[in-house]
Amino acid sequence: MAELKPGTTVDLISGGQIKVVKELGRGGQGIVYLSEFQGHQYALKWYTQQYPDTFYNNLKHNIEQGSPSKGNEFLWPLMLTKRQYDSFGYVMQLRPQGFSEFGDFLMAKAKFASISAMITAALQICQGFYFLHLKGYSYQDLNDGNFFINPQTGDVLICDNDNVTAQGQNTGILGKARYMAPEIVAGGKPDKYSDYFSLAIILFLLFYGNHPLEGKKVLSCPCMDEVNDRKFYGSEALFILDKDNKENLPVRGVHTNVITRWPLFTKNLQDAFIEALSQDLIKNSTKRIIESRWEKVITSMRNLLVVCKNCGNETFADIEKQTACINCGKPVTVDYQIKTTNYGNIVLSPKKNVFLGKSKQPVAAVRINKADPSVWALQNLSTTTWMVETPSGKLKPVGQNEIMPTKPGLKITFSQGEKGEIV
Amino acid sequence: MGILDSAPVPRRTMVLFFIVDTSGSMDGTKIGSVNAAIREVTPMLDEISSNNADAEIKIAVLQFSSGCEWMYDEPKSASEFRWIDMEADGLTDLGAAYQELSSKLSRNAFLNEATGSFAPVLILLSDGEPTDDYQRPLEKLKENKWYKAAIKIAIAIGSDANRDVLKEFTNSSEAVIEVHNVEALKKLIRTVSVTASQIGSQSSAAGVKDKQTQVTESITKEVEQIDGASSSAAPAIGSSSDDDWD
Ligand SMILES: Nc1ncnc2c1ncn2[C@@H]1O[C@H](COP(=O)(O)OP(=O)(O)OP(=O)(O)O)[C@@H](O)[C@H]1O
Ligand SMILES: [Zn+2]
Repeated sequence: MAELKPGTTVDLISGGQIKVVKELGRGGQGIVYLSEFQGHQYALKWYTQQYPDTFYNNLKHNIEQGSPSKGNEFLWPLMLTKRQYDSFGYVMQLRPQGFSEFGDFLMAKAKFASISAMITAALQICQGFYFLHLKGYSYQDLNDGNFFINPQTGDVLICDNDNVTAQGQNTGILGKARYMAPEIVAGGKPDKYSDYFSLAIILFLLFYGNHPLEGKKVLSCPCMDEVNDRKFYGSEALFILDKDNKENLPVRGVHTNVITRWPLFTKNLQDAFIEALSQDLIKNSTKRIIESRWEKVITSMRNLLVVCKNCGNETFADIEKQTACINCGKPVTVDYQIKTTNYGNIVLSPKKNVFLGKSKQPVAAVRINKADPSVWALQNLSTTTWMVETPSGKLKPVGQNEIMPTKPGLKITFSQGEKGEIV
Repeated sequence: MGILDSAPVPRRTMVLFFIVDTSGSMDGTKIGSVNAAIREVTPMLDEISSNNADAEIKIAVLQFSSGCEWMYDEPKSASEFRWIDMEADGLTDLGAAYQELSSKLSRNAFLNEATGSFAPVLILLSDGEPTDDYQRPLEKLKENKWYKAAIKIAIAIGSDANRDVLKEFTNSSEAVIEVHNVEALKKLIRTVSVTASQIGSQSSAAGVKDKQTQVTESITKEVEQIDGASSSAAPAIGSSSDDDWD
């Protein structure tokens, strides 16, 4: 196997040499080494499998194009090595501390610190897909190894970007059947529509903790060989909570997470998955739910996320479905909301961080008076001054970190002209 | 239980079978290397298993000489598996091993996981000729669905091993690897177990080569790097066929 020993130097096509320091980990395709270039530390992914020139050239192309986003959502390939020592590799940034692989969440080795962090992660995954598609790329090999997530904050890093190609292209590297759209399992070429299917799978796993196509029907298949893979993830793919067909329901004692969590999240999230994984959308790829719609669904859910006044845990003020706390069962009351022009109604609660739409940064936070918890205030967490109009027509500025009362009738102008009224 | 305290996702199980010839001719460094190599590879299999959200890896070991015997009476998860050193003595009752394997490759025996299984990996190691009637048990084995779906690799230890017999087991000469010294045997056991487990324990790659082909190709490539190992797809170049065992 073409392994590299510590101290080995490898030539980069852009000039210079990178030096191997030590192994960080290995996977099915290769080994990742801590390495050094011009006094800085990087990760070097070194392939131990053979890859065709199309793969190498695609990687080179992706490096030349640069990361699809200016932010740091992607661990994008930065430099490519020459073909050397019977193989080659690419250089990327080291993963920062505090991130866990998505697979660790699935195996309950990592857990989200809050529902809010989980929602942030979902939004960032959507965002990453969006940037990628915007640049005309699609995934070839999307699976649980593609995401690192910070369980405290929900920040996401998208890795393994060597398998990203221009849409409609095919490097011959295809993902795990469990994560792929049925038409790809059947042998088709990946494109953004097949990515939308994978996105629904990933989001479902993230929120509900079980695979959306693995229920009773799949469980009853004793031997999952390739023929069955093609059946259950391809020609006969069936959502475990399909509206009409109950053949693949989750099984008690096995699919525990989804059985517990399905009723706990909001109705709009349920509806979105029932649609995204309906037979219609499984079979008609162009109808699939795109990132911006997922973002809308998830942000509306975040609007309803509140802290229970009784038990102090996060719950949803989901008027459509339930008014009881998902933790203690006590009624959840809606005291105040901000009715925004573009982002719906945001329910307020003690300690609530207020986000406008899919924004990563909260614009405000609810603070409560220690002596009298019935007295609430809204703190401006944005970097701009809000203009607040009182019911009698007066205008009052609320600067950064300043507070204002949560009094119905107050109209806030946030930055970029977005308006919200406390009701 | 709420949203945040989640249970691990149900994983399928992939059983890795070692079917080891412990006849008298394996005595000495051959059996010693097998003992050492499988013992050393177990923690690596455990790591692959614990980082894999698709499937858990379990290990089962069948040794055959005069008759055959399982190391444990059920497959053990890689984290719990403890290798017990094998001793070599007696005949080469491959037929008995095939018969035993047929009976355990069943949902009512070794493959009875509640969350289902992936197709198993079968690794057969032998250094000689079968001494019993292996043909009929093999025919029966070939009707077994699990056997049919399995990833199969055979390791021929030394030039006395009957490669044709091993080929009948794997169905392909590319999946029969020969080794001619102790170091090569150790390396090969490691390579074959790791590669086959890695590929065998993942949801299959959509639309591409089947798992057996992926494993065979990957192992063939590694065999080229191991002195004293060869296969029909990676013939040894210029090496003498003289075995170098002691
Ligand atoms: N940028 C990085 N910084 C630090 N560690 C990394 C980095 N990228 C990968 N690793 C580690 O290296 C190991 C192998 O990497 P990776 O999973 O990408 O390999 P792979 O061959 O693509 O695996 P897979 O079988 O999932 O496709 C992982 O354990 C991962 O934690
Ligand atoms: Zn409560």
